[in-house]
Parts: sequence; structure tokens; C-alpha cells
Amino acid sequence: MHDFLDNTLLSRLGSLPIESRVPMLGNVAGKHRSPHRGSSVEFAEYRKYVPGDDTRRLDWKAFARSDRFYIKEFEADTNLRAYFVVDASGSMNFTGNGEAKIQVARRIAASLAYLLVNQGDAAGLSICTDKLHLEVQPSRRAAHLERFFSTLGSVQPTGETGLIAALHTIAEKTSQRAFVVILSDLFMDTTALGDALQHLRYRKHDCSVFHLMDPLELGFEFDRPHRFVDLEDGTSIVAEPNLIADEYKTALRDFLTTVRAKCHDAAADYQLVTTDTPLEPLLREFLTARLPKSKH
Amino acid sequence: MLFLNPFLLWGLLAAVIPIAIHLLNRRRHKTIPWAAMQFLLKATRESRGKKKLRHILILTCRALAVAALIFAAARPIVSGLIGWGGGSIDTVVLLLDRSASMESKPADGLDSRRQIVIQKVRDSMASLGVSRLVLIDSATSKPQEIPSPDSLTELAATAATDSAADFPSLLSRAAEFLADTSGRSEIWIASDLQTSNWLPDDHRWAATRASLAALPQRPALRVLSISGPTAANSAIRLLGSRRSGDELLLDLELFRSSDSRSSTTLPLTTHLNGARTSESLTLPGQSLRFQKRVPLPQGSSTGFGHLSIPADGNLRDNSVFFAYGPARPVQSLIVAPAGEAADYLALAAAPPGFGNQSAQRIDPAMAATHPTADLAAIFWASDFPTGPAAESITRFLNSGGQVLFLPPAGASPSSFLDLKWSPMTQAPAGKFFILKDWNHSDGPLRDGIDGNPIPAERLKAIRRQIPLGDAAPLARWEDGEPFISRRIVEQGTAWFLSSTPDYSWSNLGDADVLLPTVQRILAAGADRFDASYLTTVSSDAAQVLPGEIRTRLDDYGTPDPANSAYQSGVFRLGERLLAINRPAQEDNLEILTREQLDQALDGTKYTLLDQAGQANDPSLSRDVWRAFLIAVLGFLISEALLSLPKKSHPQVLSKKVIA
Repeated sequence: MHDFLDNTLLSRLGSLPIESRVPMLGNVAGKHRSPHRGSSVEFAEYRKYVPGDDTRRLDWKAFARSDRFYIKEFEADTNLRAYFVVDASGSMNFTGNGEAKIQVARRIAASLAYLLVNQGDAAGLSICTDKLHLEVQPSRRAAHLERFFSTLGSVQPTGETGLIAALHTIAEKTSQRAFVVILSDLFMDTTALGDALQHLRYRKHDCSVFHLMDPLELGFEFDRPHRFVDLEDGTSIVAEPNLIADEYKTALRDFLTTVRAKCHDAAADYQLVTTDTPLEPLLREFLTARLPKSKH
Repeated sequence: MLFLNPFLLWGLLAAVIPIAIHLLNRRRHKTIPWAAMQFLLKATRESRGKKKLRHILILTCRALAVAALIFAAARPIVSGLIGWGGGSIDTVVLLLDRSASMESKPADGLDSRRQIVIQKVRDSMASLGVSRLVLIDSATSKPQEIPSPDSLTELAATAATDSAADFPSLLSRAAEFLADTSGRSEIWIASDLQTSNWLPDDHRWAATRASLAALPQRPALRVLSISGPTAANSAIRLLGSRRSGDELLLDLELFRSSDSRSSTTLPLTTHLNGARTSESLTLPGQSLRFQKRVPLPQGSSTGFGHLSIPADGNLRDNSVFFAYGPARPVQSLIVAPAGEAADYLALAAAPPGFGNQSAQRIDPAMAATHPTADLAAIFWASDFPTGPAAESITRFLNSGGQVLFLPPAGASPSSFLDLKWSPMTQAPAGKFFILKDWNHSDGPLRDGIDGNPIPAERLKAIRRQIPLGDAAPLARWEDGEPFISRRIVEQGTAWFLSSTPDYSWSNLGDADVLLPTVQRILAAGADRFDASYLTTVSSDAAQVLPGEIRTRLDDYGTPDPANSAYQSGVFRLGERLLAINRPAQEDNLEILTREQLDQALDGTKYTLLDQAGQANDPSLSRDVWRAFLIAVLGFLISEALLSLPKKSHPQVLSKKVIA
């Protein structure tokens, strides 16, 4: 059993489906809407018969009434392929007033992956740093989850972030539409981040961003000077937080606003998650917000 | 500024504690792994400038607060004499005004100005730790080492006197003393700034300033004055004393310093040869001049006494002393040819009823051989004396005699004292020479002691001869020519009248002008015989001659034997009987203006500390630790204000961002 898995949480969230906001292109039938017409029970539309159509789908009753051939189309349901992109740069190792960001990322990724596989969808994992790029291909099999979890648990954040490159890679390599969940503190160039998100959007992927921040990073409350050592490159700086708090907070606020705007522009869900936030309400809200309006 | 606990100033090192704590804090920083480095770097870059300055100001406030606290604990003293820029002083020369006017009390004090100023100087000296104090008091003018400032109030050299002060001379003495003194020195002048003591127009000031400027290390000059309102005070002054037969005529002035215009009654006590009489005097305004006739005991040849009024704001001006010798006939000599003028002069010089006055007429030719030693005055109505007569008259004048010259009633080529008579001039027909103005306060036509003027306007002349030469006119005819002129000659005075008591010349014989003129000249001439019994404190006559012993005879007040030479009273000096009074200038209460002080002490960069009306302030120096405590408070408040967070603190997690 992995320490980032919470059975109670998973059982409570089990009743909530994970929905995709865009039609998915799965290779097996599932519960997600497909861009193609299929054979599900949900009526979509009538269209005129053209030679070559499957005659089994002719609506004979309509032919009897109108003497015309109509093809009755139904929504096709398919499965969902989800990619969890976890930032494993050194900054994700930061532990301030809450849990380590990487741990929170593990818990979110593991919970959502479990729920996805449980509802018949495929969950894949991509862990990225500037030097390392671990990938677990999406799979619907329950046995696959163990590999997913062990890979997730083995991650040791180090070095600089490779998230931008990882996102571009996923956007390019994944031909079918996918649900991409990004878990990172996003300490990177926001313009490059925006480009990567736009790339994913262009490839019609459904994107969600969990922006992980520690309360200490947001509040920046210290009572004495500190030597701040960069978790990524090891450089350090001695600073008196009281003196620079205003400027720090201003810069951080600008950063958060920019990141949010980039996500919005790329039609990506944005969730600012502080590491001291309880997961259940966070995920419940996340899942509920994704439910189609008609299913509410 | 000096400190009572200077060793505590080592505590100033504690001012570096806040800075040290700050530096130590910086060194003892905690190391923390940090992810959001990009914001930290940006904030560090942007926080330089104002923030750094603010932080430096906070640190400075903390350090200054500690320093001010240490200063307060060290009991800083700011002396009005020393000032903020003062440091250690090696020698202080204290010029102490011991004049009679220094005994006046401020309106709110019980002690005299002299006592107050001595206490202030003593306390300041004690707190400032001056190593050497030298006193030059106004009475002795001699430098005197004072072993301890505490003894200042006990010394005879600082006690009250009835003398006057002479500040040009005192400062010169201080300069002489300091010429042989090394180290940093200061001259402290404790005075009531009485103009008559400072003599700002005295020519000696230039030499005094020069001698101060010539000192190798120029001393700082601090003038300590206690001006301000004075307690109610009345004073009595003896203007003159003359024996007339069995009476002593005392010309007195009673005056008071208060501004009240209502009349007041003062008891005047007369002590004569041990007998005491009292009377009440009504003082109608500020001052009253009057003549008191003191009947002398039958057959009394010599005696003494004093008059006194009750004690008040100044104890030194409540009494006057007198002494008298045997009665002397007032003899006068009229040198004139027989005639109307000589007769009227003789009548005016020895009027009927004035038994002790006698006049003798001689021809001018006899003047050279006539003895003059016992004469009070000579009335000369002839050509100016020449030859032996001129020599005799000059000797008479030099010894204090009075001579009145009248026109010779004809052309006169001779001259005396470089003066000669003009030709006789006559008024136009039907017109007269009349007096236009005359000196009402000086000269033989001055107003009476009761303030009544001489009816000199009644004088009419048709002929006159003007004395030509250097003489000071005291009365003038309508056309500006002098009627009475004066020429001081050594101790005596030569008077010149430009008309004669001859009805073919003028109506001088009517006595309105002639009688008071002749009588006053006679009185002045006779005073030189009585003057030997009357003098002022510190005058030459009051000095003990070799072989003489000073013995005080009167019983007024509490005599101070150590200062008897500087006190008023009746003394016997050897064979001499002397009534010694305070100098007249001590009754002139005019105070030096700042401009006059600037003029007198020009170039000395003096400091004037006027403790006007602060008689209860025990010290010239003030403890200013409270000011430093207030400074501590101020620095701490400033530090707190600087440390306050800005009102517009940026909110990182705005609702918009979180949503």
C-alpha cells in the first residue's frame, strides 16, 4: 500500500465519475462521448441515407411513414485516456507549512488515476525533470495501476523542471484526444508554459492544471533573516524577509495572475492548490465542476 | 555640556548593540531550502533603495535611543554660563560686583542679587568641576584664589559693601591676571549691569578690550546678570551737609524705585550723637528733595549721626551718615571799588540776620596781599586780576575757593584764565536784556531743593559785559549771550556774571537773582571746610593714612569689620572724623542696554546670561536629563513608526486568483 493512497478518500469519491469536457477518441466503448456516431442508446440525429451506409441502421419506421430512407444516428461512447504529467523538479520537493508538493501531486494523481481506471478509462503517467522523463503508458487494466503507483512513489524530485518539454512531447506523440492533468508548481517561464498549453489545446486534449503552492511560499512570513537555498540549482541568497516581503508578494501575485490567464487562454482547468488543503473537498469540487450540465 | 556621572558615558558603547544584534542576526540566519527563488531574487533586486534607507533609519533610531538613554543616565548639565559648546575650564576669573546696588532684591526673592548670583556661581562651579577659581571683587579689585566654590558665600571678599564698581578697571585687572595664567580660562562677570558702574562711554574700555585681545589664549566672557523687577525699595541720599551756627543743614533726597505714584509716608529716624528722634515724611511721588535742619546741642563743636528709613528691598541705601566740626564764620571778600555794586554784593554776601556771615570790601589794589585761607568766596567786580593778585586768586581757586567775577564797568584789557571782558554793550533805548533760559538743575540759578525755581525772569539789564573765552554758560540772555558762565579750576570754581548790581546797569540789586547766586556760591565755598567731614566709600579721603587707625563710631546696622573700608558709616581715622556715604552713582538705577554692553565688550564675543526674575532658580546650570529621556521616547516612537507595516500590504491570494 502506498502512503499517498487514501482508501477512505477513494471510496467517498467513487460515486463521482470523471468526465471529459471534450469528446474523446477511445479504442473501446466507454462512458465518454465520442466525436463519432456510434451505437449507444443515446439518440443523436436523423440523416438521409447515402449509398454505402450500413443498412442495419436504417430507420424502417420512418421509411414506412415517409417513404424515405433515414439513417438514425446515436452518440458513440468511448473510453478516456488520461495522462498525469507530474513535475519532478527540485522545487517540488519544497516542504513549508504543508506537505511536500510532490507528495500532494502523488496523492492527486494516484486518486484520480484510481478513479479513472475504476470507471474503465486508461490512465498514464509522465514524470519529468530536465534530465529524466519517465513514462507509464495509459492502460485500463487494474493491474496497470500498481505500476502507475510504484512509478509515482519512486519519484525523487531533483534538478530543474522539464515540464514544458514533456507537455510538448505528449501533445505531439498522443494522436488521440486525451485528458492531460498537469501537477506542478509551474516555477518556469510562463510564456513557454502558455505555448505548451496552447499546443495541447491545438491537439484537442482536455487539460487540467493543478498548481501546487506551499502556504509558506504564498505568505512569506519569516521573523528573521534566512539563507534561501534554491532547491533546483543549489544557489543561495541571504535575505531579510521583512524587508522584501512586499516586493516578493507583488511578484508572486503577478505570477499567479499570469499563470491563471495562460490556462484560461488555453481552455485549461486551473486549480491553485495549497499543500495544506484537504484533498477530498478539492477533488470533489474538481470532479463536480467537470460533470456535464445535464447530468447535474 | 558636562556630566555629573561622566563614567557612565562608557555606556555609549551600548549604542552599537542594536547594530551588533542586527549584524549577528544576519550572520545567524537560518538556512532554508526554497523553491520560489525567482520571486525572491526579483524582490531582493527591487527592495534596495527606500527599504534599505528605512532599515538604516530604524537601526539609527535604535542606536540613538540607547545613546540618549546613556546620556540621560550620565546626568548632563547645560550651564547658561558654559553653554553647549563648553568643555573643561582650567581657570575661571569671577568679577563680582559688590556695589551697593547689588544688594537690591528681585521682586520674588528674599536674597539680594549679590547673594543669588554668588549661589548660582557656587553651584555652577561645583557641578562643572572648574579646577581654579579666582575672585576679583569690585571693592578690592585684587585677584584672590578661592580654594573651594563652596566658600564663596562665606568669604568677606564677597560680602556686601557700599562701594561702587568700576568695570573697565576690573576687566583690566582680570586681563592682567590672565596674562600670567596658562590653560583655558573664562571670565565670569556677575553684575546688575548698572550703567554708572559699567561706564560704557569710558575711554578706558578701548585699552581693556585691547589687553583682553592681547592674551595668548583669549578667555570667554560670560556676563551674568539678574535684572528684572526689584522688590519695593526706598532710598535716602545725602546731597550736602553744612553747619550753620548751631544748626546742621542737611540737603537730602528721598526716592523710591516702585512705579507707584500715590504718596507714601516713611518714618525718618535721626541719630545725633547717640540721641534719636523720629519723624514721618510724606513722599508725594517718586522722589522728594528737602533740607533738614538738625539743631545741634548747645556748645557742640564736633559730632556725628545718621538718618535712616526702614529696611526694604535694598538694605544698603536706607541710611546716610553725617559729621560736623566746629562752627565757622562764613567770610567773603568783595574786591571792588566802593560804590553801589559793592554795597549790594556786601548785602547779598552778609544779609542782616545771617550772624555767621561777614563780608569785607577791599580795593582791587589790596587783593594781592589780602589773606584768603579762611574765605568762603571772593566777589570780584573790577578788572581781572593780574600779577600777584592773579596768583593769589588762582591759589584760592585751586584750594577749592569760589570766585564770582562781575564786569569792571568799563573797558578792560586784562585777562584771567584766558578770559577777558568784552566792551560794554547797552540795550536799545526802551528795551532790556532779559534772561531767556538758565540751568534749573545746576549752577547758582538752579531750582530750590523744594523744586521752586529762582525768579530769574525778573532780571532786566540795560548794560552788560560778556566774558570772552572758554567758560561754560549756565544762563543766557535772550540773544544767546551768556549771563552766568563757569570755569572749573582745580578744586574751585570761577563764576562770571555779565552784569553788575548797579541800577545803571541792571536790577540785579533787587536780590531776586543776586541773593541766591551769592549765597549759593558762598555755600559752595564754605562746603570745602565742612567737606573734610564728608566723603564717599573708596574715595581718597576715606583711605587710611599711615599711622591712622579706622574706628567706626556709629551704631547703625551690623558692621562688618573685615569690610569696614568699603562700608558707609561714621569713622574716626586717626584724628579725622569722617562720615562716609555710598557713592552717588549707586543711586542711579539706570541699567546698561544691550547696545551699550555690545559697545563696551565689542570684539570679545561675550555671552550674556540674564536670569531676569529667576531668583528662585538655584543654579546657573540645569540638569537636562529629561530632555534626553524625551529624546529616547522620540527615537523609540520614530522607530516604531518606521517599523509599522505599510497599509497597502499586497495580498497574494486575491479572491480573483483563488477563484
